[in-house]
Amino acid sequence: MRLVIAIVTMATVFLPVASADLVPSVALAEQNAAPAAAKDNRLRVPVEYYKLPNGLKVVLSRDQTTPTAVVAVYYNIGFRNEPKDRTGFAHLFEHMMFQGSANLGKMGFIRLVESNGGQLNGSTRFDFTNYYQVVPSNVLEPVLWAEADRMRSLDIDIENLKNQQEVVKNEVKVNVLNQPYGGFPWIDLPMTANENWYNAHNFYGDLAQLDAATVDEVRTFFKTFYAPNNAALVVTGDFSPEQVKAWIEKYFGSVPATKLPSTPDLKEPRQEKEKRAGRTDPLANRPAVGIAYHVPDRFTPEWYAFGLLDEALAQGSDSLLYDELVRKKGLTGGVNAGINFGLGSMFDYSGPMLWQAQFFHDSSVTSDGLLSAIDSIVEKVRKDGLDQSALDRARVKIRSDLYANLEQFVGWGRANLLASFALFDDDPSKINQLEEGFDKVTPALVQKTAQEYLRPGNRTVYVITPGKTGAPNEKEAR
Amino acid sequence: MKSVIIPLLAVFALAPQQSTPPVSQQKPPSAGTPKDFVLPAARRFTLANGLPVTMVPFGQVPKATIRLVVAAGNVYEGKDEVWLADLTGNLMREGTTTQSADVVAQAFAGMGGELGISVGPDTTSITTEVLSERAADAVRLLADVAQRPRLPESELERVKGNLLRNLAIQKSSPQAVAQERFSKLLYGEHPYGRVFPSESSLKGYTLEQVRTFQRDHYGAARARLYVAGVFDAAPLEAAIKQSFEGWTGAKASEPPAAPASTGRQFAMIDRADAPQSTLMLGLRVPTASHKDWVALELTDAILGGAFASRITANIRELKGYAYSPFSTLEPHPGLASWFETADVTTGVTGASLKEIYFEIDRLRKEAPSAAELQGMKNNLAGLFIMQNASRAGVISRLNFADTHKLGPDYLSSFVKRLMAVTPEDVRRVATECLTPDKMSLVVVGDEKTVKSQVTQWAQ
Repeated sequence: MRLVIAIVTMATVFLPVASADLVPSVALAEQNAAPAAAKDNRLRVPVEYYKLPNGLKVVLSRDQTTPTAVVAVYYNIGFRNEPKDRTGFAHLFEHMMFQGSANLGKMGFIRLVESNGGQLNGSTRFDFTNYYQVVPSNVLEPVLWAEADRMRSLDIDIENLKNQQEVVKNEVKVNVLNQPYGGFPWIDLPMTANENWYNAHNFYGDLAQLDAATVDEVRTFFKTFYAPNNAALVVTGDFSPEQVKAWIEKYFGSVPATKLPSTPDLKEPRQEKEKRAGRTDPLANRPAVGIAYHVPDRFTPEWYAFGLLDEALAQGSDSLLYDELVRKKGLTGGVNAGINFGLGSMFDYSGPMLWQAQFFHDSSVTSDGLLSAIDSIVEKVRKDGLDQSALDRARVKIRSDLYANLEQFVGWGRANLLASFALFDDDPSKINQLEEGFDKVTPALVQKTAQEYLRPGNRTVYVITPGKTGAPNEKEAR
Repeated sequence: MKSVIIPLLAVFALAPQQSTPPVSQQKPPSAGTPKDFVLPAARRFTLANGLPVTMVPFGQVPKATIRLVVAAGNVYEGKDEVWLADLTGNLMREGTTTQSADVVAQAFAGMGGELGISVGPDTTSITTEVLSERAADAVRLLADVAQRPRLPESELERVKGNLLRNLAIQKSSPQAVAQERFSKLLYGEHPYGRVFPSESSLKGYTLEQVRTFQRDHYGAARARLYVAGVFDAAPLEAAIKQSFEGWTGAKASEPPAAPASTGRQFAMIDRADAPQSTLMLGLRVPTASHKDWVALELTDAILGGAFASRITANIRELKGYAYSPFSTLEPHPGLASWFETADVTTGVTGASLKEIYFEIDRLRKEAPSAAELQGMKNNLAGLFIMQNASRAGVISRLNFADTHKLGPDYLSSFVKRLMAVTPEDVRRVATECLTPDKMSLVVVGDEKTVKSQVTQWAQ
């Protein structure tokens, strides 16, 4: 298939960073701590973790494979938690973090990083907003200085706010409003499946509400959430630990802590009855079905089991759903699915979460026909569990996928997991416990987990009906 | 085996680049001394049947990436065969003469990998990425897929149906519609100008056509094999020899010659009531093997290829007209093009074009400052390191150099050549290569609102 233009994203929420060429990977561990050398053949990522007196969580993880480093600052505020009449605010705010600080004017941060050989981005997700730079390792100090400068003294003015309101509205247009299947299923399914407003609102934002944001609100949001005691700073890659610690102390040590507001209750009730919703998409010309199930709480045995179920059911062309829906029945061309689908992985969120899957199909196939084929597989797994070969493959795949996750974008993937486990669990060393967690899962637990979490009542279905048929009606003018 | 060390002292020797801050502001601390970057060492050899093999030990993660690149892309399709390469590539997933598709899929999965077959304009890549201990097994399985595909009649209609659906879905995206027309304007009847097949021609492709395409375009003389990552070299090399040495297959052939450059053309495609206009403008430029290519890469980066680029700073960060404007160079063997693309708010379609052309003209008239150029050189040097800091990236860079016949020193001399470009080189290259009078423009948007805004470019 020809590659249709990849949209390069900057300071964005939803699309992955950068060009295909850059797609990822660098070594996980230091030369002397290579994962393959570990006795039990499990991954060992070096982790050094401490806190500054102002509460900033710091994680260092050295890897000298290439002279590059990653600086990642994660704030414990995601789009779930934004103000109730300001949908899309957390993401709009993310854009404001690139608009200048006390000692760096507009474009200053961007130029500082790029003109020193680095790449940068930011994104807003369910439970965090992150900012990161992948840089040649000799420019760590100025980058740490710049991150501290915007944490301490973001410069917010009306002109930049108006500018970024326009940019964000254009982002929503290009990714949702002018795009077939825009927002499907990653906005549609959470909005349908969840009951709690925090989990169920349109986190990309309503255009009118985006316009309504004021400078004062932006300042208040910054003061409330962008504090060292609400953040984690991760440095991975090639650095001298003593030097990096001294820089972190020097630049971040004096950023004042704030009193954080109480955290909202994100709990979701147990879903008892299947939910169905859908819409007609005037830009789409083929129907599509999205399904979602609420997943077990993080780090429970069932959560690990669900990770294996995801691998067995939906990851790769050996998966049960691919085999049935694509290869045997020809109902769809592929299976795309995952926990925290489209926005991350099973490792980088904190609150209630969904497993989602999407299927595009032809009008000759009904959504009910597709769903009954899905049911035949799901119900078999609920009844019998996974057979040994599928379970064995799931274990291999999850290990391989975990490595791939950590390798993303020259070590950013590793920083992403370390930051998440520091922010949400106060324990970044959890990165080294994941393989053990999956290894402990028994066939019986897989079946028990499928019984409860793949219940019909735990499912939500979202159907896209095409508003167009046949080829798009575009005529040429001259 | 020889490592190439690229000294980066010259690259990042300058203090952090930024404009002079007001007196009240603090300056950022200086960057440290840059470290040398060691380009991963590649072991290269050629099998008796002519298949070039490249093995690159890289990193510590216990995985290996294996990629077979075959001259079997869309450029080899005939006029009425658009996407026949895709149909062939997709049907090659459906098993080998001795192993059914589900068995192949399960075998790759059991190694921690998956079979990826990616059909591009020039080449088709067959790739897998597996856990290191299974690298030799994965080579054998990948060799079977490449050399002995089953191409089953029983799966033809299903696989075709998936392509038909993908075609319909892609054509509902304004970016794909713009790209299709833009390619047509730039390349005309050359295969690069044929992005999408018609539904009816795709429906009509027969198994015989697929088998013929496969037979004529897959063979050792048209392929290169790359492996990068952590692997045990001796058994892997033995597996490569054992499973690929007996492959003959198709002979080498030249793709159709590059067509003559077309002049400036314009197309407006109506997308009724669209909230944005999708813009694509650009032209043919010298190829990747031309002496000005590196200067052209810098020119592209300054104009639209980076976040801090001029067009992005203008229409995004100053005006708020767009979210993700960017420019890029698209190199093929034998020809190349440059384009800028942006999805802009409908009401400012004309205003956006004015700013884009303004920035192009400005760079043609006036050389960039030494500081701006140095910043962009640093940016591309840093990007180069990151592109060579992953298994897939290492393979991708080597393949780029091989595909474009850029010579064995291309990667090791890249940074040096980058640093040698002067501000005047950039102005000259912009003047010679990015001539607005020769640029074609495609606008996909709400014609009733947009037409009057673009009249000056529609002549």
